[in-house]
Amino acid sequence: MTQPVEKRTVDMQIIGDWVEPHTRVLDLGCGRGELLDYLVQTKHVSALGVDLDFAKITACVHRGVSAYQGDMIACMASFPARHFDRVICSRTVQELHAPATVIAEALRVARSVTVGFVNHGFWKNRLDLLVRGRKARNAVYTTAWAESRPANPVSVADFEDFCTAEGIRITRRAHLLGDWKTPCPALPNLLAGYALYDLTR
Amino acid sequence: MTDETQAPAAPASTPPYLAADDVGLVAPQDFVCPRAFTFKNGQELIGLTLRYETYGTLNATRDNAILICHALSGNHHAAGWHTPADKKPGWWNNLIGPGKAVDTRRFFVICANVPGGCSGSTGPSSLNPATGEAYGLRFPALTIVDMVRAQKLLLDHLGVAELHTVIGGSMGGMTAMLFAIEFPRFTRRLLAMATTAREGAQAIAFNEVGRQAIMQDPAWLNGDYARDGGPRVGLAIARMMAHITYLSDASMDRKFGRRTIQSREQSPELRAELAQQPATADFNLQFEVESYLRHQGQTFINRFDANSYLYITRALDQFDLDHAYGSLENAFAPVLAESLIVGFTSDWLFPPEQNRQIAQALLRASKRASYAELATDLGHDSFLLESEELYALIRGFLERVPAPTLDFAI
Repeated sequence: MTQPVEKRTVDMQIIGDWVEPHTRVLDLGCGRGELLDYLVQTKHVSALGVDLDFAKITACVHRGVSAYQGDMIACMASFPARHFDRVICSRTVQELHAPATVIAEALRVARSVTVGFVNHGFWKNRLDLLVRGRKARNAVYTTAWAESRPANPVSVADFEDFCTAEGIRITRRAHLLGDWKTPCPALPNLLAGYALYDLTR
Repeated sequence: MTDETQAPAAPASTPPYLAADDVGLVAPQDFVCPRAFTFKNGQELIGLTLRYETYGTLNATRDNAILICHALSGNHHAAGWHTPADKKPGWWNNLIGPGKAVDTRRFFVICANVPGGCSGSTGPSSLNPATGEAYGLRFPALTIVDMVRAQKLLLDHLGVAELHTVIGGSMGGMTAMLFAIEFPRFTRRLLAMATTAREGAQAIAFNEVGRQAIMQDPAWLNGDYARDGGPRVGLAIARMMAHITYLSDASMDRKFGRRTIQSREQSPELRAELAQQPATADFNLQFEVESYLRHQGQTFINRFDANSYLYITRALDQFDLDHAYGSLENAFAPVLAESLIVGFTSDWLFPPEQNRQIAQALLRASKRASYAELATDLGHDSFLLESEELYALIRGFLERVPAPTLDFAI
């Protein structure tokens, strides 16, 4: 399955553009540490990843990326305010148990927070449900219902409403079409396949 | 640490010490401190000896050394075999060897018995050259810092320019952490497992029960017992109790369940022991687990000194980095090593939370540190586990290419 890998690269490039060199970055749900490794190589950041899986921590350690195995909220709680320059929460947003708590805690421990997610308002996802009456399946969410992890789908409109209600300032946004490459010209809640935000208090 | 070093898995035709991934036959060596060694409490000891073993070869740049730090009841014999007739290899033989996670083709591995120990290093059972008698309780009060400083003298003597990594579990983890704190420029990587930055009340409590078992034994004689005598009953009970803290409910139940000794084939020793039991008592040996613990106790008294047990458990009790340095972040402030802390889910002596706190404090102090937590049900001794997952983690930590710059701190 090559497509998600390509999409991953686009994701990394945009985040890479937003990250300032020589800053402290915390990646929530860091996986095998690819993004942080990329940021270390290109932006010389001080990197820390958090993940729940022992094998993923092993992969991070092997590539020289510091990683912490455990709950992301508990991990952030152990740091003083503004310990990091940036917290990145990419692609994992819809799987968070308490997204509002995670984002609030991220905004406490860092100056800015980068959030990236698959837009469930994307027209194809709407059609899956409206026409086919089925759970959305796409290049990223390839699995059937029974094989999927619990998900709490979020759309561009949901997310922006949340930020407004919480008094969170959106300093940068990137909306990409379904190919996750082409910038989305208009109507992001309908036309964007992937959305990235930079947040601050 | 238990005495449960696994039997080697080599074909019957090849002796295990000749296996391709085994360090083979090894001989311990002695290092005698050329000058008087000053303990943390100010007392001096002349002729402090550390018994140690090395595996592999120190490279030309003298920077491929890995120091292995043993736990409370461990010693310098971490890998290999002393004679072809040995029933067991060194206590961490599954980790150390050619091609193993701590690869002796690549690294120069050192393990030394701590001062205060009883496996050849100077301890309470050693003879005081000034009096010709054993030190007993006249041996200086011991701390983990003393263990670290003494081992540093050994490493200097061996010509080690800097430690590639210091590795330890349990008490060895404390020793390893203090190495990175006391000798930051010397210690490039720190791997501490199943350990704590601060011996908690429960751990002190267990140590105290062990000490009381020893000191209440009439044969203890205030520590002035004869070399072949001493509080054997007390030391065995201390070991039986401590041994339980190294295991877990699940692992003991799997290993012994409620099986009784009547239900298994009895060894000649067990038959002899059963024959000695009074015929009427209801408190005779019944369960497998009782027999196992008695065996652990008996094995221990033949290899461990009661006064060493008192001294080393007291050193553990004194270990509290928060208090010694004002805070854990302060303690770790000088550290330059990249650290990996590993906790084990079923460890209830030094639970995952205490290991996690070490990693969190290192990170708060802007150090490069990782925390991994392995799901096991074997309790505290999980760090000695034969686990491909653990080996992969350790190998990944030891063998990755070093970071191009130093300024990586989070």
